[in-house]
Amino acid sequence: MAQILVVDDSSTVRNEVGDFLKKNGLDVTFGVDGRDGLAKLKADPAIKLIICDVNMPNMDGLTMAEKVRGELGNSAVHIVMLTTENSPAMKERGKAAGIKGWIVKPFNGDAVLGSFKKLIGV
Amino acid sequence: MKALPMRDDKNLISKVLVLDSSSECRKQIRAFCETQNLQALKVLEENLLSVLRSNVDLGGIMIAEDLGGKPQDGIRLGEQIHKIRPELPLFLRRENLQGTDDLSEAQKATFTGVYTIDQIHTLQAAIETTIFSLVYPPQLVRGIAEMTQTSLQSQFKGLTVQIDTPYIVRDRLIFGEIFTLIPIESDWCRGYMTLQAEEAPLLTLVKANKTHIAPVEGDDFRNLNGILGEITNLIWGAFKNRYSAFKAVQAHLAQVPIVINHMHRYISFGSENPQLCFKCTLSDSDNPALPPLVIYQRFVFNLNWSPEDFHENDQSLDSLVASGELELF
Repeated sequence: MAQILVVDDSSTVRNEVGDFLKKNGLDVTFGVDGRDGLAKLKADPAIKLIICDVNMPNMDGLTMAEKVRGELGNSAVHIVMLTTENSPAMKERGKAAGIKGWIVKPFNGDAVLGSFKKLIGV
Repeated sequence: MKALPMRDDKNLISKVLVLDSSSECRKQIRAFCETQNLQALKVLEENLLSVLRSNVDLGGIMIAEDLGGKPQDGIRLGEQIHKIRPELPLFLRRENLQGTDDLSEAQKATFTGVYTIDQIHTLQAAIETTIFSLVYPPQLVRGIAEMTQTSLQSQFKGLTVQIDTPYIVRDRLIFGEIFTLIPIESDWCRGYMTLQAEEAPLLTLVKANKTHIAPVEGDDFRNLNGILGEITNLIWGAFKNRYSAFKAVQAHLAQVPIVINHMHRYISFGSENPQLCFKCTLSDSDNPALPPLVIYQRFVFNLNWSPEDFHENDQSLDSLVASGELELF
């Protein structure tokens, strides 16, 4: 049972974000790409927030977000993209998929921890 | 010696090896090099092969025909160098103004430029066409250094990041054991960025808990690959956000094969163009015993280079949120 699902193909990013969240008392699980992220979300109904990269192999993060809302019909989980991408077109696609927010890498945990906690209600 | 004007784009340098027994000539060559943004590196003949094997960031070689004391010795050595490092332009210093008529066709093809010390300024054109043949906008060079610095600092804890003056290289040798490659595409440039590093110092930094990888996970080489991979991703994203238009690049664009020869640690992008190189050194000032990590970053714009169309994105500046901050929708 985890509160937050971090989906990124980079083990460095998974470690960085995961370690930060765990140090701040949050339960975290991981996915290595969009396909894996979908499977992890299906398996754990406790997940309230997904922090997700855009550019990943097998399935990109925006496609994953669209499938979370579409195929899985899950409109409750919050999705925040953590990516190097910053184009308005991509953000528009993310908004259409119902994502909650966008963070441009590099990750700065202190700047976003409060928002993450608010999103998951702790 | 005739005074020469400085190059206009003073933001870039290149390194040349100087093989010359005459101290007076070396002095004049060094003075000439300074006017051309060339950094002259002296090397002893007996160390030449090891220097050629270990130096991966050269722009060219200046060699005297009488190197070692005998006429033709330098020419023969030049032919040998040309065989093992054909990508490096060779500039031959001759004793007398005799041109190249006395050289064989193979020897003529070996040397990019021929000069006497009194006429060294005549090399300027050859240097321009072989080493500084591509124009790199200073804003681009500065911007790459900035985004590289930021990306490196985000992936290493408590390390000093030093980026040397960017320079132009013509060699094609691969440095170290870990190599990343990512396409760089925009409406004004197309090519690749590579990062190259040695595994041992990177592993040492992981073990010293200076990265986001747990020290115990450093023994899995894939985690070391992942560190360089994420740095590559960060720089690529920053480059795209800053310099590529936020529009799709034309589909069905031309490609050329990239060839890597592992035996010779040599990579070819199918183009003779020189490459833009940044040498980044990461060190721990609190722990000098920790070996520094050197990362070579290279840009190869082999598929399209139209610096006249270079631009920085400003369309989204108003709406940009600082890196690392959450933009809520």
